[in-house]
Amino acid sequence: MLARVLEAAGVSTTSISLVREHTEKVKPPRALWVPFPFGYALGRPEDPELQHRVLRAALDLLAESAGPILRDFPDDAEPGDQPGAPPQASGIKPADAAPVDVAMETTQMRRYHERWLETSGGRTLLGLSGIPATRFRGVVRFLEEFADGRDADMTERPAELPLPNFIRYCADDLKTLYFEGHLAMKPGAGGEEIARWFWGETGAGRLLRRVRDRLDASDDPRWKAAAFGIAR
Amino acid sequence: MPRLDRLPQISRNNLLTFPAQVNDTAPFRHPTKPLAACRLAIVTTAGVHVRGDRLFTPGDQTYRVIPSGTPTADILQSHTSIGFDRVAIMRDINISFPIDRLRELVARGELGGLGPSHYSFMGAQREVARIESQTGPEVARRLVADGVDAALITPT
Repeated sequence: MLARVLEAAGVSTTSISLVREHTEKVKPPRALWVPFPFGYALGRPEDPELQHRVLRAALDLLAESAGPILRDFPDDAEPGDQPGAPPQASGIKPADAAPVDVAMETTQMRRYHERWLETSGGRTLLGLSGIPATRFRGVVRFLEEFADGRDADMTERPAELPLPNFIRYCADDLKTLYFEGHLAMKPGAGGEEIARWFWGETGAGRLLRRVRDRLDASDDPRWKAAAFGIAR
Repeated sequence: MPRLDRLPQISRNNLLTFPAQVNDTAPFRHPTKPLAACRLAIVTTAGVHVRGDRLFTPGDQTYRVIPSGTPTADILQSHTSIGFDRVAIMRDINISFPIDRLRELVARGELGGLGPSHYSFMGAQREVARIESQTGPEVARRLVADGVDAALITPT
């Protein structure tokens, strides 16, 4: 749809498509369908050679003389080591572990995350809640109080940001701390493996399940939407 | 993929009921220059933006401007749907926003150049009327003003 708007206004476009069924209907002027999972539009992270092949195939469409054109990237390029969409919490059984001190666990993860920042050159997806990782013990306590059914809030929440949206950002940042921390422990780990570890084995995963349950029990659609975005 | 028959039921249903537009034809504007002379910009629906810029919210139909020289460490993604694997973009921003790869193409002389700005929208949009009538055309006008010949549109 966006491609059509830009093209109609005088900008030639070429698009990368993940869902062929949708692209067939929408008909952007030029699209390259790729056989990759959601989140993997250019193929594989840290694989410039494959990314260049995808780019070249998409840019080559600009030389076509007529459209709409929908071309398939060769299917045998599929990485094959990741599912089409990541596993969800509901499909992962939490391990029967003794209760853990999640704030303590988070502090340990922060050490791994600092290693991640060293290797990534400072690149991180952390930062939606606006709270630095050094203060995540406070985020964990806030989420625990919320999950326990108390009237929890944080002074760091901007006045205009509704509570469920703030909870979602805190949950997203907590996940990022653990996911990127795990990447520091095990470089090159795939999303499926990390999701299974997070939802199955960590105290933070168990905490976010409880946060989700309280949000989902509400009749307020904004609370339910936040629940759907945290775990399902 | 994601081939629908290989997706979990919940993702498949979500996609099958997605209100995709149905069109018969497409606008088509042939680029006036070969790729090696084209100025390109990325327009992404990955919900990425400069750190410190306003976060996207679900269903947000506005856009963000990402100056071409922005270091990748200064790019954040506030599209956090659990329907896609964020580990890929944690490891490599180029998986959705291939800025380094495009810079390499320019250095090799295969691409003419990059526009001064790239543009980003939120992904997983079900309601797109405002993008179609207002924010999309606005980005198109900015691309033209930027001297951009072609846009590469990337999802997440």
